[in-house]
Amino acid sequence: MSLTLLEGALLLFVLACALGTALLKDTLAAVIAFAAYSLGISIIWLVLQAPDVGLTEAAVGAGIMTILFLLALANTVTPEVDTLFESVRWRTVFFVGGFVLVMAATVPSLPAIGDPTAPVVGGEVTQYYLENAKKETQVKNAVTAVLAAYRGFDTLGEAVVVFSAGVVALSVLRREVFA
Amino acid sequence: MTADPLQLDLLTSRYNYYAVMLLLGIGLYTLIESPNLVKKVIGMNIFQTGIFLFFVTLAYRTGGNPPIVTKGGGPYASPLPHVLILTAIVVGVALTAVALALIVRIYSEYGTLDEDTLEELYYD
Repeated sequence: MSLTLLEGALLLFVLACALGTALLKDTLAAVIAFAAYSLGISIIWLVLQAPDVGLTEAAVGAGIMTILFLLALANTVTPEVDTLFESVRWRTVFFVGGFVLVMAATVPSLPAIGDPTAPVVGGEVTQYYLENAKKETQVKNAVTAVLAAYRGFDTLGEAVVVFSAGVVALSVLRREVFA
Repeated sequence: MTADPLQLDLLTSRYNYYAVMLLLGIGLYTLIESPNLVKKVIGMNIFQTGIFLFFVTLAYRTGGNPPIVTKGGGPYASPLPHVLILTAIVVGVALTAVALALIVRIYSEYGTLDEDTLEELYYD
């Protein structure tokens, strides 16, 4: 498909927010720019036909993540800043630019966006899920069916990761919440 | 690509992938170069979302619908990358929570979040 105005504007907004996050010197300003970035990217998920991912990103990425960052800032210091932006280190820009160029060299080998014959969209696994998810799990939303049924162990592993993260965070902070 | 020396068709048909590469670059720069530990974690998150954009773009289908199966509703986007990214988003938040908890602890031990100052304090 070709680039629409909405998508172009969203991508520009997201890239600008990311650049702002990278260069703003004040940590609080960077966190706010990152929240705007998350919001923009959750709208991009909607445009890319992924409403479930968009909902999760808006709730978790823009919501919980921002709260976590603000809590961390409230419990540490925000250093006084004299300038708005950080000075750019060109040595790092050079190396990161090389990395980006190497990655960008692979783009011509990737399928065009939205190509119905591309390996992911037209692949066997995708077709199987779309044809059988409703019949086998009685769930209309194929994403939910795959998440909770076909890849249920994956989701169990995710729950284990979240649980261990909670345990680690509590033990690192040495808070006796359950005492 | 011979008829299109500037390869503009690459840009108009694969623009999201270029955005992915740029996001990876911005995230990596923040991760390496920012002296503040909190901003390093933000850089890691930008890097992550770059990869998410790559996956969700691969699942997109022109003229398709979100993968909610109804009668005569197709064609649909692929549900599998969406599921992987849903899992990855939640794991990313767990990772961020642990990183920020460590940062708060580092601050209570050393009283600073600046990378260079921390290094000096550590080796003294």
